[in-house]
Amino acid sequence: MAQVPHTSTEHAAHARHTSPVLVFVILTLFTLIEVGITLLGLPKASIVPVLLAIALVKASLVAMYYMHLRYEKIIFTLIFVLPTLFAVFLVTVLMIG
Amino acid sequence: MNQTNVHERRLTRAAEEGNLNRKYGFWIFLSSEFLIFAGLIGAFVMTRASVFRSTSSLEEFVQKWWEANTFSLALVSINTFVLLASSLFVVLAIDAARRDDQRGLVRWLAATIVMGVIFLGGQAVEYTLLVSEGHTYFNNADAFASAFFTLTGFHGLHVFVGTLICIGVLQRARKNAYWSGNFTTVEIFGLFWHFVDLVWVLIFTIVYLT
Repeated sequence: MAQVPHTSTEHAAHARHTSPVLVFVILTLFTLIEVGITLLGLPKASIVPVLLAIALVKASLVAMYYMHLRYEKIIFTLIFVLPTLFAVFLVTVLMIG
Repeated sequence: MNQTNVHERRLTRAAEEGNLNRKYGFWIFLSSEFLIFAGLIGAFVMTRASVFRSTSSLEEFVQKWWEANTFSLALVSINTFVLLASSLFVVLAIDAARRDDQRGLVRWLAATIVMGVIFLGGQAVEYTLLVSEGHTYFNNADAFASAFFTLTGFHGLHVFVGTLICIGVLQRARKNAYWSGNFTTVEIFGLFWHFVDLVWVLIFTIVYLT
């Protein structure tokens, strides 16, 4: 059986530049910041945009570095991001409403 | 000799295209999954808003609901940490496969399974507490609970399925089925697991913090 060169070997080489442990630490810190902000007991209206922004940054970090979208073909990003934009729009409109 | 090389090259290219097609297919699947979750999150947000409108005090309602589970936020925060850690373990498992480190691959996949089980255990504890306080799925007077259980339960189902897939991948990894030239299956499992993690990041903020 012929050994199959992996399709994402090239991307993986880039991926190694960003330590997954560092991404994990950043994600954990953001989570702690989110919980901290919530426990401050500030009015919901003032903290919700901040919390949502942090959540979107966290989700983007997972998609870019753990799911390797940053290093994959642009078509993968488009396949995932276009419906995501629609989803974010839908939920944002509902939350504002 | 030359013909053999050409044949080998064709086989390699076909396998590469096959791997790429599997990834295309899986990304499309994940996109559709994301839209399902978006619908459920939207339904949850709408239900919560309508319950708030019909309740005299918004803050009072939230307080009452969460009093049912006093350490809910701590429990869910721990669960979030568990899921984030499991995602890191999957990345390390894929990296081990890339380096032909069979023991590392098996070890990190096993760690991911443990994290999946811990997450599901935490969710079970949370559900038990809520149900014991009278918040049930089929309570017509508690639409908020129904929306909550539907959204978080659907996510929990994904963690459960992901854990089962991980067990399958681990079994194959123990038989040295994956190596540096063939680990697309591990990568695709990783995509699914990270997706579940990504969705939880959003659910955690929208459901529990806002």
